Amino acid sequence: MSSTAAPASSKGVASESPHHSSFRTARHRRAYRSDKILEVVATGSATALLLLLGALVAVLVYAAVPSFRTFGLAFLVHSEWRPNELERFKRDAQGQIVKDQDGEPVTETIPPAFGALPVIYGTAVSSAISLTFAVPFSLGCALFLVRIAPRSTAKPVSFLIEFLVAIPSIAYGIWGLYILAPFLQQHVEPPLNAVFVSVPGLHWLGSDATTGRDLFCGSLVLAIMVIPIITAVSRDVLRAVPRAQIEGTTALGATWWQTSREMLRYSRSGLFGAIMLGLARAAGETMAVAMVIGNVNQVRPSPFAAAQTMSSLLANEFAEASSDLHRAALLEVALVLLVMSLLFNVVARWLVVGGGQASGAGGH
Amino acid sequence: MWMGCIACAAIILGVLALVLWYLISIGRQSVNLAFFAQDPQPYGADGYPGGMRNALVGTAILVGLASAVGVPVGILGGVYLSEYRTRAWLTETVRFTADVLAGVPSIVVGILGYELLVVPLGHFNGWAGALALAFIMIPIVTRTTEEMLHLIPGSYREASIALGATKARTIVRVVLPAATGGLITGVMLALARVAGETAPLLFTALGSRLLTFDPRYPFPSLTKQIYDYATGPYAEQKQQAWAGILILIVLIFSFNLLVRLFTRPRQFRA
Repeated sequence: MSSTAAPASSKGVASESPHHSSFRTARHRRAYRSDKILEVVATGSATALLLLLGALVAVLVYAAVPSFRTFGLAFLVHSEWRPNELERFKRDAQGQIVKDQDGEPVTETIPPAFGALPVIYGTAVSSAISLTFAVPFSLGCALFLVRIAPRSTAKPVSFLIEFLVAIPSIAYGIWGLYILAPFLQQHVEPPLNAVFVSVPGLHWLGSDATTGRDLFCGSLVLAIMVIPIITAVSRDVLRAVPRAQIEGTTALGATWWQTSREMLRYSRSGLFGAIMLGLARAAGETMAVAMVIGNVNQVRPSPFAAAQTMSSLLANEFAEASSDLHRAALLEVALVLLVMSLLFNVVARWLVVGGGQASGAGGH
Repeated sequence: MWMGCIACAAIILGVLALVLWYLISIGRQSVNLAFFAQDPQPYGADGYPGGMRNALVGTAILVGLASAVGVPVGILGGVYLSEYRTRAWLTETVRFTADVLAGVPSIVVGILGYELLVVPLGHFNGWAGALALAFIMIPIVTRTTEEMLHLIPGSYREASIALGATKARTIVRVVLPAATGGLITGVMLALARVAGETAPLLFTALGSRLLTFDPRYPFPSLTKQIYDYATGPYAEQKQQAWAGILILIVLIFSFNLLVRLFTRPRQFRA
């Protein structure tokens, strides 16, 4: 008597080998062996993804250890980034130059110092300014696509906006460097700077030089890059607002704008997720920013001062890092960048997918 | 207020038009046959500035190598997420990881490639660049494959198994062929994304001004060469950078158009 062994498992129907007589032929055994092979290979590929993430984190942490040991947590708040040694005259307690027996000044060598504050500042402020510009336009455009535009207009407009996402960042970089930056330098920054300098309370916003390649330009380019992402996700989120909600609000006598505001309020967690996705892209953006941000490791309150973000620092200095400590410091910056972007992505995903119902991709 | 929303959309489209207008009009001036047929020549040499043939070929080879690794792993990973899902914790974790990896800044991927593939070999090489691009491709292809496979009705699989096919045969002969259009869409989206990437190649493949087919050494790519030319001091090379950008945008635009054509809504008769 033969019976089909059916262990309780969640595997598919045909992957268990039945123990009946027809399984004895070699052809059947081969068929079920290929089953097993495909399953192993597919599981292996899926596990490969876990390995990729693990390798990323592990390699960065391992290679940044020399920098951890040298600087500790103070790395995140020090603002001096100096890959070279400094030779200067040795001074005694009163500030007088120490001289040796021949009357010559004694020099001392200060080792390189690395501090990530300028790049953390640059990333944070450029992302913040870019979002300030981008979010109102994105939400307005999303409302347009969902509430105003007829189907025939909404489709091509959506396509064009998604095409904006596909433009490689280096294209934005070149456009920003050769079109936007000179325009800002000649027409926008001098008058704005004059206003800042003259108004007593805003004096600290002014800058000595306005080259056009500064935090302001970087933020504008980032805003242009981030708008399509926020628009696309917001449009999807707003489309998911139930018809009953919209009709109910209108039935209670709300105007067009009041109803729209109600829609925005209803889907605020999804919209916040969309904004975080834009933030994640803005913070991680490398090439466009590296070309227009001015590439100076400094912390200045003025948006017209050159700055540096974490990714532009890596793009500029990594290939030419002058010492092991320099490379370890850069890797620590990369680790901070990775952790920050992972955090943003996780929170954004949880907000967009989880806020409301069970995660859409979880069910078959 | 609704006029404000229309204004927002108009401004965004206007900015897009502005960006594209400059890219197209300036790039158009330098695109000629020499651009495609010649390799770069240094300043002062005969035939300066030459063309960008090495970079076009380089990007094609790098993207090809990246796909050779990224597409199979991605599709198989998507098959696991959609068809097997034997352990719930593994499936959820892998799905989450794929989404998270898709958002990693590409320059960090380049740094990983440097530490793992350039340092042991002692010099920059094209394989490191190709594998860094594959790293970016895999999560994208995995997720789109899973989504596309979800669209195939369960009745296809049930019918196949009812006819006696094993699970592997069902997947390979029934489900995957039915989803071919969607799979190609996912792969092409990933290709378009990867072809435009610069940051992962900065310290893996490094770039080269020579036409080379050997990925064991520094390897040219279109994006890196555009970046070098654009930030360099030579005016003719800057013109070529604009031309290169135009070609890159045309490439990506055609990819996206083809993807739209492939994703015509299909009716599956269940």
